[in-house]
Amino acid sequence: MTTTVDPRPVLEVEGLSLSVPGHDGPVPLLADVGLVVRPGETVGLVGESGSGKSLTIRTALGLTPRRARTAGRVTVDGLDVLSAGRGELRELRRHTAAMVFQDPRASVNGSRTIGAHLVEGLRAGGVDRRQARARAVELLERVGIREPARAMRRHPGEFSGGMLQRVVIAGALSTNPRLLLADEPTTALDVTTQAEVVSLLTSMQAEAGMGMVFVTHDLTLAAAVCDRVVVMYAGRVVEVAAGDELFRSPAHPYTAALLDAHPGLHGPRAALRAVPGRPLALAETPSGCSFRDRCTEADDACAEEVPALRRHGGSDAACLRPGREAWA
Amino acid sequence: MTVRAGTTRWVLGRLAGASGTVVVASVVVYAALQLVPGDPLATLTGGKRLTESQLDVLRQTYGLDKGFVAGYLDWAGHVARFDLGTSSVYQDSVNSLLASRLPVSLALIGYAAVVTVVLGLGVAVVSAVAGRRTATLATVLTSGAAATPPFVAVIVLLAVFSVGLGWFPVTGAGSGFLDRVWHLTLPAVAMAIAAFGVLARVGQAAFADQLRREHVEVARSRGVGRAAVLRRHVVRNSLGPVVTVVGLLLASLFVGTAVVETAFGINGIGAFLVSSVSRQDFPVVQAVSLLAVVVFVVISTAVDLLLPVLDPQLRPAVTR
Repeated sequence: MTTTVDPRPVLEVEGLSLSVPGHDGPVPLLADVGLVVRPGETVGLVGESGSGKSLTIRTALGLTPRRARTAGRVTVDGLDVLSAGRGELRELRRHTAAMVFQDPRASVNGSRTIGAHLVEGLRAGGVDRRQARARAVELLERVGIREPARAMRRHPGEFSGGMLQRVVIAGALSTNPRLLLADEPTTALDVTTQAEVVSLLTSMQAEAGMGMVFVTHDLTLAAAVCDRVVVMYAGRVVEVAAGDELFRSPAHPYTAALLDAHPGLHGPRAALRAVPGRPLALAETPSGCSFRDRCTEADDACAEEVPALRRHGGSDAACLRPGREAWA
Repeated sequence: MTVRAGTTRWVLGRLAGASGTVVVASVVVYAALQLVPGDPLATLTGGKRLTESQLDVLRQTYGLDKGFVAGYLDWAGHVARFDLGTSSVYQDSVNSLLASRLPVSLALIGYAAVVTVVLGLGVAVVSAVAGRRTATLATVLTSGAAATPPFVAVIVLLAVFSVGLGWFPVTGAGSGFLDRVWHLTLPAVAMAIAAFGVLARVGQAAFADQLRREHVEVARSRGVGRAAVLRRHVVRNSLGPVVTVVGLLLASLFVGTAVVETAFGINGIGAFLVSSVSRQDFPVVQAVSLLAVVVFVVISTAVDLLLPVLDPQLRPAVTR
């Protein structure tokens, strides 16, 4: 593939910081997060729970927590989301960007039919009722739901998790968005259906040429699916690299620790190593590098300041001594 | 078992349960006559002197000459044919005495129900959506309302709006539609206050619970308007608890007429019950008691049958 022009990103997050009010002053949740997604590109967002992955992509839809304070810039298809008004946000959600949530059981209203769920999104996007119904049936067929016309009248309780996530994907894609935000779309599913849902997502994304952010805590899955992977730790980006590059030679000790904690299928069987310590929220992190208390390589220099992202091989890593070769 | 057979069995089960409740209640109502100290016949006549032939009719209607079981069956047979006996005070059929008083009571209950539902759900929605300060204020208001018994409400409303401000009449039920609405406003509000408080509390909790759910966030993330999210996702999904409570409150409004009608001099079923108790008009007391049981059972059965239709998540397992 030859790229002559660098297409304008559909999502651009620059220096995003976010805090919410707490009992003793503001509680920071994100600090200086950056992310770029171009049309047709899949970017993985990886990290432990509480690292700020979901919060980051929710910000792209203007779904920030109540009374949250933000700084930095989030641009979706040219719209500055953080300063957008309610009407602009509604238009953004109706036409430009869509989100697939983690648990399909929770994200489709169990009291209403599948048809009502799909038609609701289309109607919000300005499609008239008859056309919306016809298009909903079409979408169900495309995501592989059998007897789509009958499925329209069924309730979520009558579907398996995997089938329901297909419905959710159909709903998210119904308005032909330019940006798809997938928030751990396979975490709540069986392993067998995970693969089906991932391949459905990627094929639909390639077909429509959308930009996609794929949030997951599964580094291997991210490396397989994504063009680029962004690793987050405690509300900060610690490494950005191409999927295969990240897998082959992680530059940040945290990325390496995540990989070591995951069983590999190929090569010699190495002992699994858990990442020592527990995942921290941004508010609890020590001075300097957030990961230094859990890092086997940390020394006094790591406590001095938050390391910036620096080029190392094929990656950008926020570490003073990036790359396995530098480690003891 | 097929879904349809399961559903049929479930519905028949509910109906059988409801009928059973009414039968048991009717035994209790009949037995009350025997439990009153002294001669049941004297209780029935309320101490008045009747001719021997009139006493015979009473003995027959209540099966007093036959022993408890046969007597009950005799009486139940009459009741089942909607023959509720003869008032010992008015010497008129209980049926026609009730029929002439029922419309004003139904109007009062209906009015109170509308006030309860409109204000209760309105306050519930506002306090679920609004900020913390408004929600706290609403909680104080609705908790206070829920704890206000009708006889207190009656005294306060009469003192302020009838005697003090003179906006509403003190007594009577009025004639013609607007006059009736005007006359029934204070009584309806007095009956509705506690019910409003309870419904608003339950509604607020149910709405707040739904607002936290992911399907609400999903709807927002798709740019669905605020009002539509509230209607289709928040209120819609709260119908289970809300309809259940509305059913219970409706039934309790029927009982609430006793205090309020008496206080406002409205000649309805409730006031009739109170006066009949004091005059020992036993057939009337029996009839109204039985009616109250039937109202409770009918409403709660209707709610039970309605819920699965409103929300498939509330369907009992056998019918799925």
